[in-house]
Amino acid sequence: MALFPITSNFEGDFVLQLVAVDSENTMDEVAAAAAVHSVGRRVRARPGQIMRVRRQGSEDFLPRSMRVSESGLKPTETVEIIWEAPKH
Amino acid sequence: MAVLNRMDWYDLARTTNWTPTYVTEDELFPPLMSGAFGLPQNAWEKYDEPYKQTYPEYVKVQRDKDAGAYSVKAALERSRIFENADPGWKSVMKAHYGAIARGEYAAASAEARMMRFSKAPGMRNMSTLGCLDEIRHAQMQLFFPHEHVSKDRQMDWAFKAYDTNEWGMIAARHFFDDIMMTRDAISVSIMLTFSFETGFTNMQFLGLAADAAEAGDHTFANLISSIQTDESRHAQIGGPALKILIENGQKAEAQKRVDIAVWGAWKLFSVLTGPIMDYYTPLEHRKQSFKEFMEEWIVAQFERALTDMGLDLPWYWDIFLKELSETHHGMHMGSYFWRPTVWWNPAAGVTPDERAWLEEKYPGWNDTWGQCWDVIIDNVVDGNMAMAYPETLPYVCNMCQLPILGTPGKGWNVKDYPLEYNGRLYHFGSEVDRWCFQQEPERYAGHLSIVDRFLAGMIQPMDLGGALNYMGLAPGECGDDAHNYAWAEVYRALRAEKKAS
Repeated sequence: MALFPITSNFEGDFVLQLVAVDSENTMDEVAAAAAVHSVGRRVRARPGQIMRVRRQGSEDFLPRSMRVSESGLKPTETVEIIWEAPKH
Repeated sequence: MAVLNRMDWYDLARTTNWTPTYVTEDELFPPLMSGAFGLPQNAWEKYDEPYKQTYPEYVKVQRDKDAGAYSVKAALERSRIFENADPGWKSVMKAHYGAIARGEYAAASAEARMMRFSKAPGMRNMSTLGCLDEIRHAQMQLFFPHEHVSKDRQMDWAFKAYDTNEWGMIAARHFFDDIMMTRDAISVSIMLTFSFETGFTNMQFLGLAADAAEAGDHTFANLISSIQTDESRHAQIGGPALKILIENGQKAEAQKRVDIAVWGAWKLFSVLTGPIMDYYTPLEHRKQSFKEFMEEWIVAQFERALTDMGLDLPWYWDIFLKELSETHHGMHMGSYFWRPTVWWNPAAGVTPDERAWLEEKYPGWNDTWGQCWDVIIDNVVDGNMAMAYPETLPYVCNMCQLPILGTPGKGWNVKDYPLEYNGRLYHFGSEVDRWCFQQEPERYAGHLSIVDRFLAGMIQPMDLGGALNYMGLAPGECGDDAHNYAWAEVYRALRAEKKAS
Protein backbone atom coordinates (compact mmCIF):
# COMPACT_ATOMS: atom_id res chain seq x y z
CA MET A 1 0.00 0.00 0.00
CA ALA A 2 1.72 3.12 -1.20
CA LEU A 3 0.78 6.19 -3.15
CA PHE A 4 1.83 5.76 -6.74
CA PRO A 5 1.80 8.61 -9.30
CA ILE A 6 0.94 7.78 -12.89
CA THR A 7 0.52 9.94 -15.96
CA SER A 8 -2.87 9.55 -17.56
CA ASN A 9 -3.33 9.86 -21.31
CA PHE A 10 -7.09 9.53 -21.63
CA GLU A 11 -8.58 8.69 -25.03
CA GLY A 12 -10.22 11.76 -26.52
CA ASP A 13 -8.72 14.23 -24.01
CA PHE A 14 -6.12 16.84 -24.95
CA VAL A 15 -3.54 16.72 -22.16
CA LEU A 16 -1.57 14.35 -19.95
CA GLN A 17 -2.53 14.55 -16.30
CA LEU A 18 -0.97 13.51 -13.03
CA VAL A 19 -3.11 10.94 -11.25
CA ALA A 20 -2.44 9.50 -7.82
CA VAL A 21 -3.28 5.82 -7.42
CA ASP A 22 -2.29 3.15 -4.94
CA SER A 23 0.27 0.46 -5.67
CA GLU A 24 -2.41 -2.13 -4.83
CA ASN A 25 -5.03 -0.67 -7.17
CA THR A 26 -6.18 -2.83 -10.07
CA MET A 27 -6.09 -1.57 -13.65
CA ASP A 28 -9.86 -1.03 -13.51
CA GLU A 29 -9.32 1.17 -10.46
CA VAL A 30 -6.50 3.02 -12.24
CA ALA A 31 -8.83 3.68 -15.20
CA ALA A 32 -11.54 4.92 -12.85
CA ALA A 33 -9.09 7.24 -11.05
CA ALA A 34 -7.93 8.66 -14.38
CA ALA A 35 -11.51 9.08 -15.58
CA VAL A 36 -12.27 11.43 -12.65
CA HIS A 37 -10.07 14.04 -14.32
CA SER A 38 -11.28 13.62 -17.91
CA VAL A 39 -14.78 12.14 -18.18
CA GLY A 40 -17.48 14.74 -17.68
CA ARG A 41 -14.87 17.51 -17.74
CA ARG A 42 -13.67 17.38 -21.35
CA VAL A 43 -14.56 13.88 -22.51
CA ARG A 44 -18.11 12.58 -22.81
CA ALA A 45 -18.96 9.40 -20.95
CA ARG A 46 -19.62 6.38 -23.15
CA PRO A 47 -22.34 4.39 -21.43
CA GLY A 48 -21.95 0.66 -21.83
CA GLN A 49 -18.24 0.85 -22.62
CA ILE A 50 -15.46 -0.03 -20.24
CA MET A 51 -12.12 1.65 -19.85
CA ARG A 52 -8.94 -0.34 -20.34
CA VAL A 53 -5.35 0.49 -19.46
CA ARG A 54 -2.32 -0.04 -21.63
CA ARG A 55 1.25 1.14 -21.72
CA GLN A 56 1.93 3.86 -24.25
CA GLY A 57 2.96 2.25 -27.51
CA SER A 58 1.43 -1.12 -26.67
CA GLU A 59 -1.56 -2.59 -28.47
CA ASP A 60 -2.31 -4.93 -25.59
CA PHE A 61 -4.29 -3.97 -22.54
CA LEU A 62 -3.02 -4.85 -19.10
CA PRO A 63 -5.35 -7.38 -17.40
CA ARG A 64 -8.22 -5.64 -15.64
CA SER A 65 -7.46 -7.22 -12.29
CA MET A 66 -3.70 -6.73 -12.46
CA ARG A 67 -2.37 -4.59 -9.63
CA VAL A 68 -0.07 -1.63 -10.19
CA SER A 69 2.59 -3.37 -8.10
CA GLU A 70 2.46 -6.38 -10.46
CA SER A 71 2.47 -4.35 -13.67
CA GLY A 72 6.08 -3.20 -13.76
CA LEU A 73 4.88 0.38 -14.28
CA LYS A 74 7.36 2.98 -13.07
CA PRO A 75 6.26 5.99 -11.02
CA THR A 76 4.92 8.71 -13.38
CA GLU A 77 4.98 6.36 -16.38
CA THR A 78 2.33 7.22 -18.94
CA VAL A 79 -0.58 4.88 -19.41
CA GLU A 80 -3.28 5.20 -22.04
CA ILE A 81 -6.88 4.80 -20.93
CA ILE A 82 -8.85 3.45 -23.86
CA TRP A 83 -12.59 2.95 -24.29
CA GLU A 84 -13.55 -0.64 -25.09
CA ALA A 85 -16.95 -1.57 -26.47
CA PRO A 86 -18.50 -4.66 -24.89
CA LYS A 87 -17.83 -7.87 -26.78
CA HIS A 88 -20.99 -9.61 -28.02
CA MET B 1 33.75 73.15 -36.97
CA ALA B 2 33.03 70.64 -39.69
CA VAL B 3 31.98 67.22 -38.44
CA LEU B 4 33.15 64.14 -40.28
CA ASN B 5 30.49 61.94 -41.83
CA ARG B 6 29.78 58.85 -39.76
CA MET B 7 31.19 56.41 -42.26
CA ASP B 8 34.44 58.39 -42.50
CA TRP B 9 35.38 57.45 -38.96
CA TYR B 10 33.07 54.63 -37.80
CA ASP B 11 35.22 51.66 -38.84
CA LEU B 12 38.32 53.14 -37.22
CA ALA B 13 36.50 54.14 -34.04
CA ARG B 14 35.08 50.72 -33.42
CA THR B 15 38.46 49.01 -33.88
CA THR B 16 38.86 48.52 -30.18
CA ASN B 17 40.63 45.14 -30.01
CA TRP B 18 44.24 45.16 -28.88
CA THR B 19 46.87 42.55 -28.17
CA PRO B 20 46.91 41.94 -24.45
CA THR B 21 50.36 41.73 -22.86
CA TYR B 22 49.67 41.63 -19.11
CA VAL B 23 47.15 38.80 -19.37
CA THR B 24 46.50 36.06 -21.88
CA GLU B 25 43.72 36.35 -24.46
CA ASP B 26 41.79 33.66 -22.58
CA GLU B 27 42.03 35.66 -19.36
CA LEU B 28 40.76 38.76 -21.12
CA PHE B 29 38.02 36.83 -22.90
CA PRO B 30 37.33 33.68 -20.83
CA PRO B 31 36.00 31.13 -23.36
CA LEU B 32 33.10 30.24 -21.07
CA MET B 33 31.85 33.83 -21.25
CA SER B 34 33.08 34.77 -24.70
CA GLY B 35 32.14 31.64 -26.60
CA ALA B 36 34.94 32.18 -29.04
CA PHE B 37 34.52 28.70 -30.57
CA GLY B 38 38.29 28.35 -30.70
CA LEU B 39 38.60 31.37 -32.98
CA PRO B 40 41.19 34.05 -32.17
CA GLN B 41 40.43 37.74 -31.82
CA ASN B 42 41.39 38.58 -35.38
CA ALA B 43 38.78 36.17 -36.80
CA TRP B 44 36.10 38.08 -34.89
CA GLU B 45 37.39 41.44 -36.11
CA LYS B 46 35.78 40.63 -39.46
CA TYR B 47 32.37 40.94 -37.78
CA ASP B 48 30.54 43.64 -39.71
CA GLU B 49 27.30 44.86 -38.25
CA PRO B 50 24.64 45.54 -40.91
CA TYR B 51 23.07 48.39 -38.96
CA LYS B 52 25.53 51.07 -38.00
CA GLN B 53 24.61 53.74 -35.53
CA THR B 54 26.73 56.06 -33.42
CA TYR B 55 26.01 56.86 -29.81
CA PRO B 56 24.89 60.49 -30.46
CA GLU B 57 22.58 59.27 -33.22
CA TYR B 58 21.22 56.61 -30.93
CA VAL B 59 20.48 59.05 -28.11
CA LYS B 60 18.69 61.44 -30.44
CA VAL B 61 16.52 58.77 -32.01
CA GLN B 62 15.70 57.08 -28.71
CA ARG B 63 14.77 60.37 -27.12
CA ASP B 64 12.28 61.00 -29.90
CA LYS B 65 10.84 57.49 -29.57
CA ASP B 66 10.37 57.89 -25.84
CA ALA B 67 8.79 61.30 -26.26
CA GLY B 68 6.30 59.82 -28.74
CA ALA B 69 5.24 56.85 -26.63
CA TYR B 70 5.07 58.75 -23.32
CA SER B 71 3.12 61.63 -24.81
CA VAL B 72 0.47 59.28 -26.25
CA LYS B 73 0.15 57.69 -22.81
CA ALA B 74 -0.15 61.10 -21.11
CA ALA B 75 -2.73 62.30 -23.62
CA LEU B 76 -4.91 59.22 -23.21
CA GLU B 77 -4.60 58.73 -19.45
CA ARG B 78 -8.06 60.17 -18.81
CA SER B 79 -9.68 58.33 -21.69
CA ARG B 80 -10.80 55.36 -19.56
CA ILE B 81 -9.69 52.94 -22.28
CA PHE B 82 -8.72 50.38 -19.67
CA GLU B 83 -12.02 50.66 -17.81
CA ASN B 84 -14.02 50.34 -21.01
CA ALA B 85 -11.92 47.74 -22.78
CA ASP B 86 -13.26 44.30 -23.54
CA PRO B 87 -12.20 41.97 -20.69
CA GLY B 88 -10.47 39.77 -23.27
CA TRP B 89 -8.28 42.71 -24.23
CA LYS B 90 -7.38 43.40 -20.59
CA SER B 91 -6.23 39.80 -20.35
CA VAL B 92 -3.97 40.36 -23.35
CA MET B 93 -2.30 43.28 -21.56
CA LYS B 94 -1.92 41.37 -18.30
CA ALA B 95 -0.42 38.31 -19.96
CA HIS B 96 1.94 40.45 -22.03
CA TYR B 97 3.25 42.65 -19.23
CA GLY B 98 3.77 39.77 -16.81
CA ALA B 99 5.57 37.54 -19.28
CA ILE B 100 7.66 40.27 -20.91
CA ALA B 101 8.43 43.34 -18.76
CA ARG B 102 10.95 41.95 -16.26
CA GLY B 103 12.39 39.65 -18.91
CA GLU B 104 13.54 42.83 -20.66
CA TYR B 105 15.79 43.66 -17.69
CA ALA B 106 17.21 40.15 -17.90
CA ALA B 107 17.82 40.74 -21.61
CA ALA B 108 19.79 43.88 -20.71
CA SER B 109 22.13 41.63 -18.74
CA ALA B 110 22.48 39.27 -21.72
CA GLU B 111 23.27 42.20 -24.01
CA ALA B 112 25.82 43.37 -21.43
CA ARG B 113 27.54 39.98 -21.67
CA MET B 114 27.99 40.49 -25.42
CA MET B 115 29.10 44.07 -24.75
CA ARG B 116 31.91 42.96 -22.43
CA PHE B 117 32.90 39.48 -23.53
CA SER B 118 32.44 39.30 -27.29
CA LYS B 119 35.72 39.26 -29.17
CA ALA B 120 34.01 41.11 -32.03
CA PRO B 121 34.34 44.89 -31.61
CA GLY B 122 31.31 45.54 -33.82
CA MET B 123 29.21 43.25 -31.66
CA ARG B 124 30.34 45.05 -28.53
CA ASN B 125 29.25 48.31 -30.11
CA MET B 126 25.82 47.09 -31.22
CA SER B 127 25.08 45.37 -27.94
CA THR B 128 25.96 48.51 -25.97
CA LEU B 129 23.01 50.09 -27.72
CA GLY B 130 21.04 46.83 -27.39
CA CYS B 131 21.59 46.86 -23.64
CA LEU B 132 20.26 50.41 -23.40
CA ASP B 133 17.30 49.32 -25.56
CA GLU B 134 16.39 46.54 -23.15
CA ILE B 135 16.61 48.84 -20.12
CA ARG B 136 14.26 51.24 -21.93
CA HIS B 137 11.84 48.39 -22.70
CA ALA B 138 11.82 47.24 -19.10
CA GLN B 139 11.27 50.74 -17.76
CA MET B 140 8.44 51.50 -20.17
CA GLN B 141 6.69 48.19 -19.68
CA LEU B 142 6.84 48.63 -15.93
CA PHE B 143 5.77 52.28 -16.00
CA PHE B 144 2.85 51.89 -18.41
CA PRO B 145 0.95 49.18 -16.48
CA HIS B 146 1.55 50.90 -13.14
CA GLU B 147 -1.38 53.29 -13.57
CA HIS B 148 -3.70 50.26 -13.69
CA VAL B 149 -2.45 48.47 -10.56
CA SER B 150 -4.83 50.38 -8.29
CA LYS B 151 -7.76 49.36 -10.52
CA ASP B 152 -6.99 45.68 -10.90
CA ARG B 153 -4.79 43.47 -8.72
CA GLN B 154 -3.85 41.21 -11.61
CA MET B 155 -1.97 44.16 -13.15
CA ASP B 156 0.50 43.81 -10.27
CA TRP B 157 1.80 40.74 -12.08
CA ALA B 158 3.57 43.08 -14.51
CA PHE B 159 5.95 43.56 -11.59
CA LYS B 160 5.93 40.30 -9.72
CA ALA B 161 5.44 37.52 -12.28
CA TYR B 162 9.15 36.78 -12.65
CA ASP B 163 9.55 36.41 -8.87
CA THR B 164 6.91 33.69 -8.64
CA ASN B 165 6.69 29.98 -9.26
CA GLU B 166 3.56 30.33 -11.37
CA TRP B 167 3.79 27.53 -13.98
CA GLY B 168 3.87 29.80 -17.03
CA MET B 169 6.61 31.85 -15.44
CA ILE B 170 8.64 28.75 -14.64
CA ALA B 171 8.38 27.98 -18.36
CA ALA B 172 9.36 31.53 -19.36
CA ARG B 173 12.33 31.59 -16.95
CA HIS B 174 13.51 28.14 -18.05
CA PHE B 175 13.54 29.31 -21.67
CA PHE B 176 15.15 32.70 -21.11
CA ASP B 177 17.67 31.26 -18.65
CA ASP B 178 18.60 28.73 -21.32
CA ILE B 179 19.01 31.08 -24.29
CA MET B 180 20.31 34.26 -22.70
CA MET B 181 21.24 34.08 -19.01
CA THR B 182 23.49 31.01 -19.06
CA ARG B 183 25.13 31.20 -22.47
CA ASP B 184 28.33 32.76 -23.74
CA ALA B 185 28.30 36.02 -25.71
CA ILE B 186 28.27 34.41 -29.16
CA SER B 187 25.57 31.90 -28.23
CA VAL B 188 23.45 34.75 -26.85
CA SER B 189 23.81 36.56 -30.15
CA ILE B 190 22.59 33.45 -32.00
CA MET B 191 19.88 32.28 -29.60
CA LEU B 192 18.48 35.54 -28.26
CA THR B 193 18.93 38.01 -31.09
CA PHE B 194 18.94 35.92 -34.28
CA SER B 195 16.58 33.11 -33.26
CA PHE B 196 14.22 34.64 -30.74
CA GLU B 197 14.14 38.29 -31.73
CA THR B 198 14.38 37.97 -35.51
CA GLY B 199 12.16 34.94 -35.51
CA PHE B 200 9.49 35.74 -33.02
CA THR B 201 9.30 39.19 -31.43
CA ASN B 202 7.82 40.49 -34.65
CA MET B 203 4.79 38.45 -33.79
CA GLN B 204 4.34 39.59 -30.22
CA PHE B 205 5.08 43.20 -31.01
CA LEU B 206 3.79 43.80 -34.55
CA GLY B 207 0.83 41.44 -34.41
CA LEU B 208 -0.21 42.72 -31.03
CA ALA B 209 0.26 46.36 -32.06
CA ALA B 210 -2.23 45.81 -34.89
CA ASP B 211 -4.71 44.14 -32.51
CA ALA B 212 -4.22 46.92 -29.94
CA ALA B 213 -4.97 49.63 -32.47
CA GLU B 214 -8.07 47.70 -33.59
CA ALA B 215 -9.17 47.43 -29.96
CA GLY B 216 -8.74 51.21 -29.54
CA ASP B 217 -5.82 50.89 -27.12
CA HIS B 218 -3.50 53.39 -28.79
CA THR B 219 -1.27 53.72 -25.74
CA PHE B 220 -0.39 50.02 -25.83
CA ALA B 221 -0.14 50.02 -29.65
CA ASN B 222 2.35 52.92 -29.56
CA LEU B 223 4.32 51.40 -26.71
CA ILE B 224 4.97 48.09 -28.37
CA SER B 225 5.54 49.59 -31.82
CA SER B 226 8.16 51.81 -30.23
CA ILE B 227 9.82 48.76 -28.71
CA GLN B 228 9.76 46.85 -31.97
CA THR B 229 11.80 49.56 -33.73
CA ASP B 230 14.63 48.79 -31.28
CA GLU B 231 14.17 45.04 -31.65
CA SER B 232 14.49 45.18 -35.40
CA ARG B 233 17.89 46.89 -34.96
CA HIS B 234 19.48 44.84 -32.21
CA ALA B 235 18.02 41.56 -33.54
CA GLN B 236 20.70 41.92 -36.22
CA ILE B 237 23.55 41.31 -33.77
CA GLY B 238 23.56 37.56 -34.35
CA GLY B 239 23.66 37.48 -38.16
CA PRO B 240 27.30 38.54 -38.68
CA ALA B 241 28.38 36.19 -35.85
CA LEU B 242 26.69 33.28 -37.63
CA LYS B 243 28.50 34.26 -40.83
CA ILE B 244 31.88 34.08 -39.08
CA LEU B 245 31.07 30.72 -37.47
CA ILE B 246 29.98 29.22 -40.78
CA GLU B 247 33.09 30.57 -42.57
CA ASN B 248 35.24 28.97 -39.91
CA GLY B 249 33.73 25.48 -40.03
CA GLN B 250 31.38 25.86 -37.05
CA LYS B 251 28.08 25.54 -38.91
CA ALA B 252 26.90 22.47 -36.99
CA GLU B 253 27.33 24.17 -33.60
CA ALA B 254 25.65 27.34 -34.88
CA GLN B 255 22.76 25.36 -36.38
CA LYS B 256 22.24 23.46 -33.13
CA ARG B 257 21.88 26.68 -31.16
CA VAL B 258 19.40 28.07 -33.70
CA ASP B 259 17.37 24.85 -33.62
CA ILE B 260 17.15 24.76 -29.81
CA ALA B 261 16.24 28.44 -29.46
CA VAL B 262 13.66 28.49 -32.26
CA TRP B 263 11.85 25.50 -30.78
CA GLY B 264 11.73 26.97 -27.28
CA ALA B 265 10.53 30.29 -28.65
CA TRP B 266 7.80 28.54 -30.63
CA LYS B 267 6.51 26.74 -27.55
CA LEU B 268 6.45 29.91 -25.49
CA PHE B 269 4.59 31.85 -28.17
CA SER B 270 2.14 29.00 -28.63
CA VAL B 271 0.94 29.60 -25.07
CA LEU B 272 1.37 33.37 -24.90
CA THR B 273 0.33 34.63 -28.33
CA GLY B 274 -1.73 31.80 -29.84
CA PRO B 275 -4.64 32.08 -27.38
CA ILE B 276 -4.52 35.88 -27.54
CA MET B 277 -4.89 36.02 -31.32
CA ASP B 278 -7.42 33.22 -31.84
CA TYR B 279 -9.51 33.39 -28.66
CA TYR B 280 -9.03 36.57 -26.55
CA THR B 281 -9.10 39.24 -29.25
CA PRO B 282 -12.77 40.07 -29.93
CA LEU B 283 -13.87 38.43 -33.18
CA GLU B 284 -14.58 41.72 -34.97
CA HIS B 285 -11.03 42.91 -34.27
CA ARG B 286 -9.18 39.85 -35.52
CA LYS B 287 -7.06 40.57 -38.60
CA GLN B 288 -5.53 37.15 -39.18
CA SER B 289 -5.57 33.83 -37.43
CA PHE B 290 -2.51 32.91 -35.39
CA LYS B 291 -1.59 30.33 -38.01
CA GLU B 292 -1.95 32.81 -40.88
CA PHE B 293 0.13 35.35 -39.00
CA MET B 294 2.80 32.78 -38.21
CA GLU B 295 2.94 31.60 -41.82
CA GLU B 296 3.17 35.10 -43.26
CA TRP B 297 5.35 36.90 -40.74
CA ILE B 298 7.40 34.20 -39.10
CA VAL B 299 7.70 31.14 -41.32
CA ALA B 300 8.29 32.88 -44.65
CA GLN B 301 10.60 35.56 -43.23
CA PHE B 302 12.56 33.24 -41.00
CA GLU B 303 13.03 30.63 -43.72
CA ARG B 304 14.57 33.36 -45.85
CA ALA B 305 16.76 34.61 -42.99
CA LEU B 306 18.09 31.10 -42.39
CA THR B 307 18.83 30.26 -45.99
CA ASP B 308 20.35 33.71 -46.70
CA MET B 309 22.70 33.01 -43.84
CA GLY B 310 23.76 29.63 -45.23
CA LEU B 311 21.99 27.71 -42.51
CA ASP B 312 19.51 24.88 -43.00
CA LEU B 313 15.91 24.85 -41.90
CA PRO B 314 15.75 23.15 -38.48
CA TRP B 315 15.46 19.36 -38.88
CA TYR B 316 12.01 19.48 -37.28
CA TRP B 317 10.53 22.06 -39.70
CA ASP B 318 7.75 19.73 -40.86
CA ILE B 319 6.77 19.01 -37.26
CA PHE B 320 6.77 22.75 -36.55
CA LEU B 321 4.56 23.54 -39.57
CA LYS B 322 2.09 20.86 -38.49
CA GLU B 323 2.02 22.21 -34.94
CA LEU B 324 0.96 25.66 -36.21
CA SER B 325 -2.57 24.27 -36.60
CA GLU B 326 -2.65 22.40 -33.30
CA THR B 327 -0.50 23.30 -30.32
CA HIS B 328 -1.92 26.70 -29.40
CA HIS B 329 -5.47 25.31 -29.28
CA GLY B 330 -4.29 22.97 -26.55
CA MET B 331 -2.36 25.72 -24.78
CA HIS B 332 -5.55 27.78 -24.78
CA MET B 333 -7.70 24.94 -23.49
CA GLY B 334 -5.10 24.24 -20.80
CA SER B 335 -4.79 27.81 -19.59
CA TYR B 336 -8.59 28.18 -19.69
CA PHE B 337 -9.36 24.96 -17.84
CA TRP B 338 -6.62 25.62 -15.27
CA ARG B 339 -7.59 29.31 -15.18
CA PRO B 340 -7.16 29.77 -11.41
CA THR B 341 -3.43 29.19 -11.99
CA VAL B 342 -2.87 32.16 -14.31
CA TRP B 343 -2.76 35.88 -13.45
CA TRP B 344 -5.15 37.00 -16.14
CA ASN B 345 -8.73 36.05 -16.96
CA PRO B 346 -8.76 33.86 -20.05
CA ALA B 347 -11.53 34.56 -22.53
CA ALA B 348 -13.14 31.28 -23.61
CA GLY B 349 -13.70 32.51 -27.18
CA VAL B 350 -16.08 29.69 -28.11
CA THR B 351 -19.44 31.27 -28.91
CA PRO B 352 -21.14 29.76 -31.99
CA ASP B 353 -19.83 32.65 -34.16
CA GLU B 354 -16.33 32.24 -32.80
CA ARG B 355 -16.49 28.49 -33.37
CA ALA B 356 -17.54 29.07 -36.96
CA TRP B 357 -14.46 31.30 -37.39
CA LEU B 358 -12.22 28.65 -35.80
CA GLU B 359 -13.68 25.94 -38.05
CA GLU B 360 -13.07 28.12 -41.11
CA LYS B 361 -9.48 28.90 -40.11
CA TYR B 362 -8.72 25.41 -38.78
CA PRO B 363 -10.90 22.87 -40.66
CA GLY B 364 -11.80 20.02 -38.30
CA TRP B 365 -11.72 22.20 -35.15
CA ASN B 366 -15.27 21.18 -34.16
CA ASP B 367 -14.48 17.47 -34.39
CA THR B 368 -11.37 17.80 -32.27
CA TRP B 369 -11.03 20.75 -29.89
CA GLY B 370 -14.74 21.41 -30.25
CA GLN B 371 -15.55 18.00 -28.75
CA CYS B 372 -13.81 18.89 -25.48
CA TRP B 373 -15.33 22.39 -25.52
CA ASP B 374 -18.81 20.84 -25.94
CA VAL B 375 -18.40 19.17 -22.55
CA ILE B 376 -17.01 22.31 -20.90
CA ILE B 377 -19.82 24.43 -22.38
CA ASP B 378 -22.51 21.98 -21.20
CA ASN B 379 -21.12 22.14 -17.66
CA VAL B 380 -21.10 25.95 -17.67
CA VAL B 381 -24.60 26.16 -19.14
CA ASP B 382 -25.89 23.62 -16.60
CA GLY B 383 -24.20 25.46 -13.72
CA ASN B 384 -22.17 22.33 -13.03
CA MET B 385 -19.13 24.46 -12.27
CA ALA B 386 -17.25 21.92 -10.16
CA MET B 387 -16.72 19.92 -13.36
CA ALA B 388 -15.59 23.03 -15.24
CA TYR B 389 -12.43 23.24 -13.13
CA PRO B 390 -9.51 20.80 -12.67
CA GLU B 391 -8.70 18.66 -9.65
CA THR B 392 -5.18 17.66 -10.60
CA LEU B 393 -2.13 18.99 -12.39
CA PRO B 394 -1.52 18.64 -16.10
CA TYR B 395 1.73 16.80 -16.73
CA VAL B 396 4.32 19.27 -17.99
CA CYS B 397 7.30 18.83 -20.31
CA ASN B 398 10.74 18.65 -18.72
CA MET B 399 12.11 20.87 -21.50
CA CYS B 400 9.58 23.61 -22.27
CA GLN B 401 7.82 23.26 -18.88
CA LEU B 402 4.42 23.56 -20.60
CA PRO B 403 1.62 20.98 -20.53
CA ILE B 404 2.17 17.87 -22.65
CA LEU B 405 -0.73 17.98 -25.07
CA GLY B 406 -2.01 17.06 -28.49
CA THR B 407 -5.18 17.04 -30.52
CA PRO B 408 -8.28 15.62 -28.76
CA GLY B 409 -11.59 14.23 -29.95
CA LYS B 410 -11.75 12.43 -33.28
CA GLY B 411 -8.16 13.37 -34.08
CA TRP B 412 -6.80 12.12 -30.75
CA ASN B 413 -3.00 12.03 -31.02
CA VAL B 414 -1.79 12.95 -27.51
CA LYS B 415 1.53 11.34 -26.72
CA ASP B 416 4.28 11.39 -24.13
CA TYR B 417 7.91 11.40 -25.27
CA PRO B 418 9.67 9.84 -22.28
CA LEU B 419 13.38 9.46 -21.59
CA GLU B 420 15.18 7.72 -18.77
CA TYR B 421 18.37 9.53 -17.85
CA ASN B 422 20.53 8.65 -14.86
CA GLY B 423 17.70 6.67 -13.30
CA ARG B 424 15.13 9.47 -13.55
CA LEU B 425 12.13 9.29 -15.87
CA TYR B 426 11.69 12.52 -17.80
CA HIS B 427 8.63 13.43 -19.86
CA PHE B 428 8.58 15.60 -22.96
CA GLY B 429 5.84 17.16 -25.04
CA SER B 430 7.37 16.34 -28.41
CA GLU B 431 10.22 14.61 -30.16
CA VAL B 432 11.85 18.03 -30.52
CA ASP B 433 11.67 18.90 -26.82
CA ARG B 434 13.32 15.57 -26.05
CA TRP B 435 15.98 16.21 -28.69
CA CYS B 436 16.76 19.62 -27.17
CA PHE B 437 17.29 17.97 -23.77
CA GLN B 438 19.51 15.27 -25.27
CA GLN B 439 21.88 17.81 -26.83
CA GLU B 440 23.23 18.64 -23.37
CA PRO B 441 21.41 16.58 -20.73
CA GLU B 442 23.50 17.77 -17.79
CA ARG B 443 22.48 21.32 -18.55
CA TYR B 444 18.81 20.51 -17.93
CA ALA B 445 18.70 17.30 -15.90
CA GLY B 446 18.69 18.88 -12.44
CA HIS B 447 15.71 21.14 -13.08
CA LEU B 448 12.43 20.27 -11.39
CA SER B 449 9.22 20.96 -13.26
CA ILE B 450 6.15 22.11 -11.33
CA VAL B 451 4.95 18.47 -11.31
CA ASP B 452 8.35 17.22 -10.08
CA ARG B 453 8.17 19.78 -7.27
CA PHE B 454 4.67 18.66 -6.37
CA LEU B 455 5.76 15.02 -6.24
CA ALA B 456 8.82 15.96 -4.16
CA GLY B 457 6.51 17.42 -1.52
CA MET B 458 7.66 20.99 -2.13
CA ILE B 459 4.06 22.17 -2.58
CA GLN B 460 2.05 21.98 0.62
CA PRO B 461 -0.72 21.26 1.28
CA MET B 462 -0.93 19.06 -1.81
CA ASP B 463 -4.14 20.58 -3.15
CA LEU B 464 -5.28 23.52 -5.28
CA GLY B 465 -4.93 25.96 -2.36
CA GLY B 466 -1.37 24.81 -1.72
CA ALA B 467 -0.55 25.03 -5.41
CA LEU B 468 -1.96 28.56 -5.75
CA ASN B 469 -0.01 29.64 -2.67
CA TYR B 470 3.17 28.10 -4.10
CA MET B 471 2.58 29.93 -7.37
CA GLY B 472 2.16 33.27 -5.59
CA LEU B 473 -1.45 33.73 -6.66
CA ALA B 474 -3.18 35.68 -3.90
CA PRO B 475 -6.96 35.94 -3.67
CA GLY B 476 -8.14 38.45 -6.27
CA GLU B 477 -5.28 37.53 -8.57
CA CYS B 478 -6.32 34.04 -9.68
CA GLY B 479 -7.76 33.92 -13.15
CA ASP B 480 -11.36 33.16 -13.99
CA ASP B 481 -13.48 33.50 -17.12
CA ALA B 482 -12.84 36.95 -18.64
CA HIS B 483 -16.52 37.61 -19.32
CA ASN B 484 -17.85 35.95 -16.18
CA TYR B 485 -19.42 33.26 -18.40
CA ALA B 486 -21.77 35.75 -20.10
CA TRP B 487 -21.08 33.92 -23.39
CA ALA B 488 -22.97 30.90 -22.03
CA GLU B 489 -26.22 32.86 -22.44
CA VAL B 490 -26.07 32.32 -26.21
CA TYR B 491 -26.02 28.57 -25.62
CA ARG B 492 -28.88 28.80 -23.08
CA ALA B 493 -30.93 30.70 -25.63
CA LEU B 494 -30.14 28.11 -28.30
CA ARG B 495 -31.25 25.34 -25.96
CA ALA B 496 -34.48 27.16 -25.11
CA GLU B 497 -35.14 27.70 -28.80
CA LYS B 498 -34.55 24.04 -29.55
CA LYS B 499 -36.82 22.98 -26.70
CA ALA B 500 -39.59 25.33 -27.87
CA SER B 501 -39.49 23.94 -31.38
